[in-house]
Amino acid sequence: MKLRRTWTLTAVTAALALTAGCGGSKGSDSAGSTSAPGADALKDPVTVSFWHAMKGANADALNALVAKFNSAHQGKITVKATFQGSYDDTITKYKAAVSAKQTPALVQIYDVGSGFMADSGQAIPAQSFADVDKLDLSDLQPAIKGYYSRGDKLQSMPFNSSVPVLYINKTAFTKAGLDPAKPPTTLDEIRADAEKIKASGAAKFGFGAAIYGWFFEQLTAEAGKTYCNNDNGRTTRADAVTFDDPEQVKVLTWWKGMVDDGLATNTGRKTDDAQAAFKSGTVAMHLESTGALGGYVKAAAGKFEVATAPFPKVESSDTGGPVIGGASLWIGGPGHSAAEQRGAWEFAKFLIQPENSAFWHTQTGYFPVSKAALDEDVDKKWVADKPQFQTAIDQLAATPSGVPTQGCLLGSLPQVRALVENAIESVLTSNKDPKAALDDAASQAKALIEKYNASVK
Amino acid sequence: MRLSRPGLARERTLGLALLLPSLVVFGMFLFWPLVRTFQLSTTGQDLFGRANRSVGLANFRSVLHDPEFGRVLGVTAGYVLLTVLPSILLALVLALLLQHPLAGLRILRSAFAMPFAYSVAAASVVFAALFNPAIGIANYLVTSLGFAPVNWLTSPGTALLTIAITTVWMSLGYNMLVLLAGIGGVDEQLYEAARLDGAGTVRIAWSITVPLITPTLFFLIVVDTITALQSFGQIHLLTRGGPTGHTTTLVYWIYHTAFADGATDYGTGSAQAIVLLAVVVAVTAIQFGVLERKVFYR
Amino acid sequence: MRSGNRVGRWVRVAALVLLALVVLFPVYYTVVGSVMGPGDIASAPPSLFPHRLTFDNYRGVLHAIPLQRQYLNSILVALAITVSQLVCAVLSAYAFAFLAVPLKRTFFALFLLTLMVPWEAIIIPNFLFMADHQLRNTYLALILPFLAGGFGTFLLRQSFRTFPVELRDAATLDGAGHGRFLWQILLPLSRPALASVAIFVFLSAWNQFFWPLLVTDSPKRQTLQIGLSSLNDAEQANPGLILAGVSMALIPTALLVAFGQRFLVRGLTAGAVR
Repeated sequence: MKLRRTWTLTAVTAALALTAGCGGSKGSDSAGSTSAPGADALKDPVTVSFWHAMKGANADALNALVAKFNSAHQGKITVKATFQGSYDDTITKYKAAVSAKQTPALVQIYDVGSGFMADSGQAIPAQSFADVDKLDLSDLQPAIKGYYSRGDKLQSMPFNSSVPVLYINKTAFTKAGLDPAKPPTTLDEIRADAEKIKASGAAKFGFGAAIYGWFFEQLTAEAGKTYCNNDNGRTTRADAVTFDDPEQVKVLTWWKGMVDDGLATNTGRKTDDAQAAFKSGTVAMHLESTGALGGYVKAAAGKFEVATAPFPKVESSDTGGPVIGGASLWIGGPGHSAAEQRGAWEFAKFLIQPENSAFWHTQTGYFPVSKAALDEDVDKKWVADKPQFQTAIDQLAATPSGVPTQGCLLGSLPQVRALVENAIESVLTSNKDPKAALDDAASQAKALIEKYNASVK
Repeated sequence: MRLSRPGLARERTLGLALLLPSLVVFGMFLFWPLVRTFQLSTTGQDLFGRANRSVGLANFRSVLHDPEFGRVLGVTAGYVLLTVLPSILLALVLALLLQHPLAGLRILRSAFAMPFAYSVAAASVVFAALFNPAIGIANYLVTSLGFAPVNWLTSPGTALLTIAITTVWMSLGYNMLVLLAGIGGVDEQLYEAARLDGAGTVRIAWSITVPLITPTLFFLIVVDTITALQSFGQIHLLTRGGPTGHTTTLVYWIYHTAFADGATDYGTGSAQAIVLLAVVVAVTAIQFGVLERKVFYR
Repeated sequence: MRSGNRVGRWVRVAALVLLALVVLFPVYYTVVGSVMGPGDIASAPPSLFPHRLTFDNYRGVLHAIPLQRQYLNSILVALAITVSQLVCAVLSAYAFAFLAVPLKRTFFALFLLTLMVPWEAIIIPNFLFMADHQLRNTYLALILPFLAGGFGTFLLRQSFRTFPVELRDAATLDGAGHGRFLWQILLPLSRPALASVAIFVFLSAWNQFFWPLLVTDSPKRQTLQIGLSSLNDAEQANPGLILAGVSMALIPTALLVAFGQRFLVRGLTAGAVR
């Protein structure tokens, strides 16, 4: 009897252990090849899976480009584009796909994911393909090319780029006695103009911007300072952020002063809320990306006129410029055949052709990554139609190249951005000292970065 | 049921077989993950969240030395205190008021049970609208009383309170129904006797009803505390743990560390999960050790 | 039972009505807000009564999120979990109540233990399990971990143990084996307890938020609760729309609370009342 009992017990436990044991995680990937195949890799017809995060009008334009490419390469390459959700969703799904060994051949990853992708070992650098093809990439806008490069090697193919601008409610400006043709160029000038707007009652608040970490990155670059060490992570991987410059502290101090003195409103972290404030005419000056221009013009129709100005500097003596944003395309290496990799590259090359770049620009409002695109007729007409966009073009052309404007390449940038937003929030709502807030954010970021660097083999 | 020897063996096998389905599920999704959590807490992850190295107790050290740790514990304790006792007290008042027949009693009981129909997501979303600083009813009331509008969910001083109010509302239905059941078990004759002695309604409630339902009260305190320690939905929907971590409880901290903003730090998250487990066990043990003594069992 | 003097009675009524107003206001707001247009509901000061009834919000919800699909997902998942947990609970409760199970106390302690382990403390390994086996974004991921639960076993075992011995003996004398006894006699007479378990498990499954949030990404696979969350994120400017979504999501549970109250109470109070 006793034996029976022990046997049944063992059987049950064993059954549990067996079924429970099927839960281990898989071992790490064997390193895939990261050398770029040449054009001879395309022998048989191949399908290129392409994950993206574009929706609405942007999705329509993208699908049109995909169709154009597919028909030009009929029988050889077919690009299959699928929408994956937001940029955050796309990179999350991508990470899951890596674990499941089911990655797409081409994927659109947002700007702040560039560091991660560059470290992931999953992508073949665009430069490798360009070298194999002996392709000259000088048609790419230098600022955009620089953002997606490590050292001088282009990692991913730029695709949809945006620049930040200062939006101005032209109608309110005139009412306050200000000249919209002479917009403020520094934080102090914004404050001065906001005071005039408040005094005249032209708008409820002179200024408003979302608590968005991106703006802090921009202002740091405008001030000509780095966001993280090791040359913004461009020479070797960064191991800390650099938030201790007095101009960076001034950003927070200035912002707090604006809110405390009723010159700016604090709409919180959601960009939708800040956009609504500008659209309703509640704020007269506003920070956002060029990508929002279309929506603003539409919302302001009949109410007020929208003007744009270059993104402000911190001090008038600053010699920096803005950092580009948006997303780029990464070509998958491990787990993909040479034909797939080559097919993805062909599509990427197709997208930066001037006429295609101009089409993408005029359909979406994203900045054309090809310099020659700006000379295409359709593009020139579009810009003539929307003069507010000229600001973006001029601003990008005037951006000095260099480490500050390349922006910080950091694998854990999304989380660091959240820390910066926490710092700004605590300064604005909990009266935390700006320098202390930035120092705390920097030390928390350091812990995160160290952990990240430890996980990159 | 007396059975013969061979019958007994068969019965025992049958018994085990009937338990097997449940045990397999528990093994795979409750007990084994518990073991796994301990394992994972000693690992470091690669870029994609796969455990690729052992870090010993480093994750625990980073959790315990994290400057946020004290605050997270404080927020968790504050949240529990702000939800469990007020909710039970309010439900007790309601149950006492509803215990005796009254015209329209059934309707009133159903009415007060309505919050129970709201899922965490539904309730949070409605309360987010109610506490909207610009168009919410809460600020409408506040401003019509002459005060300045409050940033309920975005101001560090009131965010946790607002989430607590939402939670109290959500749990009223459940607490009230349970208390009504408990009160229903009290012998009516005791009330009669007390009445004859001249005791008033309040005195009866305090000296007779409440002591006799202490088992129910104890049950609710334990269950509600465990629920509060596990709350996630309200926090995620109302404040995402902000502003600046002022509503980040232990559970939300785990989510934030292991899943938010593209994080894949499952090692540290698992260490935090073990802290959560320890807290739940400790609090429940304390409740059983200290509070249960006060329970009056008939 | 006399409820004391007249004044006391009116005080009681007044207190109840006041409390009812406060507790029910969010419910009122949910329903009334859902038929208010953006102008009405977003006005400052907010209006408590719609000036113009509009059903645009309901239409708007169906555009914003795949509501029908998510409803289906929630129902499917909740039903699957309920049925499975009922079956497992019946089987294990029967074993505990009527059979001589080896190490019965130990196993029962294990079952009780499942009620004490906080799901949030083990969510990471469960998430990784789904990720590693390509089960993310599937119904299986939503259902598998909850195929069995300790609560049903606990409640049914208590109910079975109070089953009259005479009926059991009569069945044995009739030559009924365990199967027939269970199916033809025990279960039909345990309907209230079964209903309690079913309703309670269904509501818990319906209500889940953290787990579906982690394991599903695409709106078509998500449950209603996550749909409400996306709706809330996307439509901040139009609270009426969000409230319409909530109203639609409330229908099954409101019905359950209204008509299933006595089973609900039984399930909720299991273990609470000595």
